[in-house]
Amino acid sequence: MKILSTIYKEFLLLVRDPGGMALIFIMPLALVIVMALVQDAPFRDYQEVKLDVLFVDADADSLSAKIRQAFSASPNVNLILEKDSAAAKRRVQAGEVKAAIVVPPQSSVRLRNKTRQVIANVFANFGLPAQVDSTLLPSTDIKIFFDPAIKANYKQALSGAVEKIIANVQADWMLDELQNQLGEGRPETKKTEINLTDIIHVNTAYASENKYQGVMLNSVQHNVPAWTMFAMFFILYPLAGNFIKEREEGSMLRLRLISGSQFPVIAGKFAFYFLVCLVQFVMMVAVGIFVMPLLGLNRLVLGGDALNIFITACAVAMAATGYGVLIGVYFKTAQQALSFGSVSVVILSAIGGVWVPVYVMPEILQTLSRFSPMSWGLEAFNDLFLRQASIGVILPDVLKLVGFALVTLSASVLIHKSRTVV
Amino acid sequence: MSSVVRLDHLVKQYPNAPKPAVSNMTLEIPEGAVFGLLGPNGAGKSTTVMMLCGLMRPDSGSVAVMGLDMQEHGAAVRKKIGVAPQEIALFPTLTAYENLVYFGRMYGLKSSHIHTQIKKYLSVFNLQEKAHKQVGTFSGGMKKRLNLIAALLHQPKLVILDEPTAGVDVQSRNMILDFLTDLKSEGTSIIYSSHVLEEAERICTHLGIIDEGKVLQTGTRSTVMGDHPDCFNLEQLFLKLTGKNIRD
Ligand SMILES: Nc1ncnc2c1ncn2[C@@H]1O[C@H](COP(=O)(O)OP(=O)(O)OP(=O)(O)O)[C@@H](O)[C@H]1O
Ligand SMILES: [Mg+2]
Repeated sequence: MKILSTIYKEFLLLVRDPGGMALIFIMPLALVIVMALVQDAPFRDYQEVKLDVLFVDADADSLSAKIRQAFSASPNVNLILEKDSAAAKRRVQAGEVKAAIVVPPQSSVRLRNKTRQVIANVFANFGLPAQVDSTLLPSTDIKIFFDPAIKANYKQALSGAVEKIIANVQADWMLDELQNQLGEGRPETKKTEINLTDIIHVNTAYASENKYQGVMLNSVQHNVPAWTMFAMFFILYPLAGNFIKEREEGSMLRLRLISGSQFPVIAGKFAFYFLVCLVQFVMMVAVGIFVMPLLGLNRLVLGGDALNIFITACAVAMAATGYGVLIGVYFKTAQQALSFGSVSVVILSAIGGVWVPVYVMPEILQTLSRFSPMSWGLEAFNDLFLRQASIGVILPDVLKLVGFALVTLSASVLIHKSRTVV
Repeated sequence: MSSVVRLDHLVKQYPNAPKPAVSNMTLEIPEGAVFGLLGPNGAGKSTTVMMLCGLMRPDSGSVAVMGLDMQEHGAAVRKKIGVAPQEIALFPTLTAYENLVYFGRMYGLKSSHIHTQIKKYLSVFNLQEKAHKQVGTFSGGMKKRLNLIAALLHQPKLVILDEPTAGVDVQSRNMILDFLTDLKSEGTSIIYSSHVLEEAERICTHLGIIDEGKVLQTGTRSTVMGDHPDCFNLEQLFLKLTGKNIRD
């Protein structure tokens, strides 16, 4: 009853505080929409890299044709033809394109001759009849120029791909040659087809562990849960502000004068702001689903089980509210509470992966992020939204959040109690 | 007559304060009394009141209210006493009515009882027309009256008022003093801190004159005055005891 009355009182106080209302309901909406729009392009970058690569075809024969064919099948590479290899090098140096592949004249012929020589040698070694030519043949020398600023993994992927193509072509031709040498009079022998299309895949993953790799983490999918988390933790601003205002305005003194237990006062506050956090959550998710698509962004996909999502939202709401209560109880002046509170939320959000996903952060920050309650929440939401995780997967994060709430709340009650009598 | 409040060698010094706000104060307030706790600014009245209601812990000495030690039974005692602190203790963005309903609930009163009590007191203190206005828009005197009502809702047997008439106009002051006289006649004990001596002369049965945290004189009004036949009124006595120096 006392708790219910306190909840109602908190409700009245909040609806009569336009600043607090704006901070709780309008700021997060503005924030999530702006951030989703701003990060839309970079997020597409993370996923849909299309690398422009110059291609100088001085060979104009079967090898260069194979390379071209293989790259044109790749979704990650866009080959641009360039006649002159010097010009290609210049364009790469100028940073106009990230790389250039130069296939010199005679490459196909050289590779074919070399192949033939190898096979002939093999035949000779086995004592089979073959024309052995022991002159040293010039080797095929395909060049790749890289922009020094290219990401190392792109560089590796590209050169690896080229090497693979050449190796495959060579293998193909060896088979041809074998068939030529052995196959007279056996026309039914089938030529082996080697599929080159899936050789090239530019892997854009970062060196660190990313368990969402391959899952669609787009701007909306990241920003909605992330900024929801931020908004929920920012509840401390009206919550702690209101707490300290009550202390300064004296109404807290009245409550201390009334009875022994301050529990209903704190519990009512906690319960009310917990509910506000849940409303924020629903509101933000609704924006992700209904408003984001209207702005040309992706629609938020909830994926997981509604109950699990609700459980996670409750856990985050508890943690956020507990933190707000603690800040409100601990600090003596509104100035201190609000500046410490908001700066700490910004820091926790930054290391928690709200601004940019944790997996693109440097290793040390990734370690730090494990201590941010916001990263626990975000992790759980990503597990649910992107990977339809079961309750077992999110449980550790949920428990950490609930634990955080319990710790902050108990600390608040103790501190508040110790200050009831001075 | 048994005592409703007993202060025994009470000492309280604020951190960083050069001298104690209350030093070695011993007082006994009989049940049913209207006790005037009188002293100049900074004498230690508010500090004494805060220790009386158990929200401040004395450095040494003890406070017993209704026979219960405040250190041990503070919470239980607070349910039986009504305190109107010197500073306004109300929610400015709630209406007068909402403030009182909330406090009534926190006192643990029944809903129907809360509403009858509120209506009664709003009319006693002439606030019924402003009942549904936010307290932040009230004048100082209106806030003071509402602050007083908040201390009375649960019909306490002891009412402690810290300067309830400060900043209040003549009409309101008169209303408050009349009310306190009625309250006394119903058997409620009242502790009334003030430095307005005519008020004390009008309603108090007992007096305690304090300064610099010490009790200078205490007893029934007539014994206190009788001890100083050279003083014609309380003001003369007060100045005789506390001196004419201006306080900070
Ligand atoms: N929070 C505090 N910290 C330090 N000193 C304090 C504090 N509150 C009061 N004091 C000092 O304690 C002494 C007693 O103060 P108190 O408020 O009890 O006086 P008072 O009799 O109520 O005065 P007034 O008539 O002005 O209300 C004063 O010297 C005052 O300066
Ligand atoms: Mg005072």
